Amino acid sequence: MKRKLIYAGAALMTMASPIFAQTPGGGGLTGTLNLPAAYLALGISAGLCGLGQGKATAAACEAMARNPGAAAGIRFSLLLGLALIESLTLYALIVTFIAK
Amino acid sequence: MQAEELWSTALFNRFLAGPLDAFWNALGVVHDPAHPWENWLTMELLVVALIFVLFAVLRSQLSVETPGKLQLTFEALYKFLSGQVHDALEHGSNKYLPFIGTLFIFILFMNLIGIIPGFESPTMSPAVPCGIAVSVFLYYNYMGVREQGVGKYLAHFAGPVWYLAWLMIPIEIISHLSRPLSLTVRLFGNMFAGEKVTLTFLGLTYLVVPVIFMGLHVFVAFLQAFIFMLLSTIYIAGAVAHEEH
Repeated sequence: MKRKLIYAGAALMTMASPIFAQTPGGGGLTGTLNLPAAYLALGISAGLCGLGQGKATAAACEAMARNPGAAAGIRFSLLLGLALIESLTLYALIVTFIAK
Repeated sequence: MQAEELWSTALFNRFLAGPLDAFWNALGVVHDPAHPWENWLTMELLVVALIFVLFAVLRSQLSVETPGKLQLTFEALYKFLSGQVHDALEHGSNKYLPFIGTLFIFILFMNLIGIIPGFESPTMSPAVPCGIAVSVFLYYNYMGVREQGVGKYLAHFAGPVWYLAWLMIPIEIISHLSRPLSLTVRLFGNMFAGEKVTLTFLGLTYLVVPVIFMGLHVFVAFLQAFIFMLLSTIYIAGAVAHEEH
């Protein structure tokens, strides 16, 4: 089953080569599909960031419930982890500002 | 992004355009000769002046027997920052506390000044977080070299075992170079997006909802200043840590 998935993924990626036929708008970050691609990347990264932060928050809540005395340290680790995960989505946001 | 000129920027451009024009020309920076002062530059100088005044007032009011509210606030802040530094660097070095404390207070004031109408957060422009991140990068490398010597500091890029050095050195170099980049983008992105989100919701719903987003922006301002300071502390700790056996 896993091998089928790998073959399907590889086939999808080879079939995506028509995307190179876009009209080159000048190279770099100016092309016809750059802005939609940046928005798509932002959407995907925001969704996955939500998943990651949800998992971090859930683990932190459970840990604080089990061990209320350590709540300060757990809260600190939670905030640090949330900020680092958030920054990954921010990189995608910056790309949407740079792309024309 | 052509932003509108603030009152402070217009003031500086009217009276002090000449010196900064010459300075930018000497460095080869592309600029508009009539308006060399930018919003972030004047706001940053304003924040520096504000912090000077605040600490001058605090300093004149210091008292051991009857501490005032200002002194108590800053004592709590000092204890918090000192706790952070001592957690990260086990050998409890107060050597790095001035730099780290300044980072936190400077970034916090810069983030918060944007909330006041008529002022703009300097951290909303990419130049300011980039400058602070580069200074943190230079500082922790300099401290690492000063603490451990040039040879030993460079040797720790090679990783724990010698036969993995060919793999570890490129990875370490890339990860070290990505640190100022990630610090910059994190601070700039959070502050810029916070303001843009508030403005967007101000355009959509005029009344209560933008206040909620502005509240979120205030919380994020505190959090991002704290995260910047914390990550800088961790980088400094990584650079000056002696290998414990």
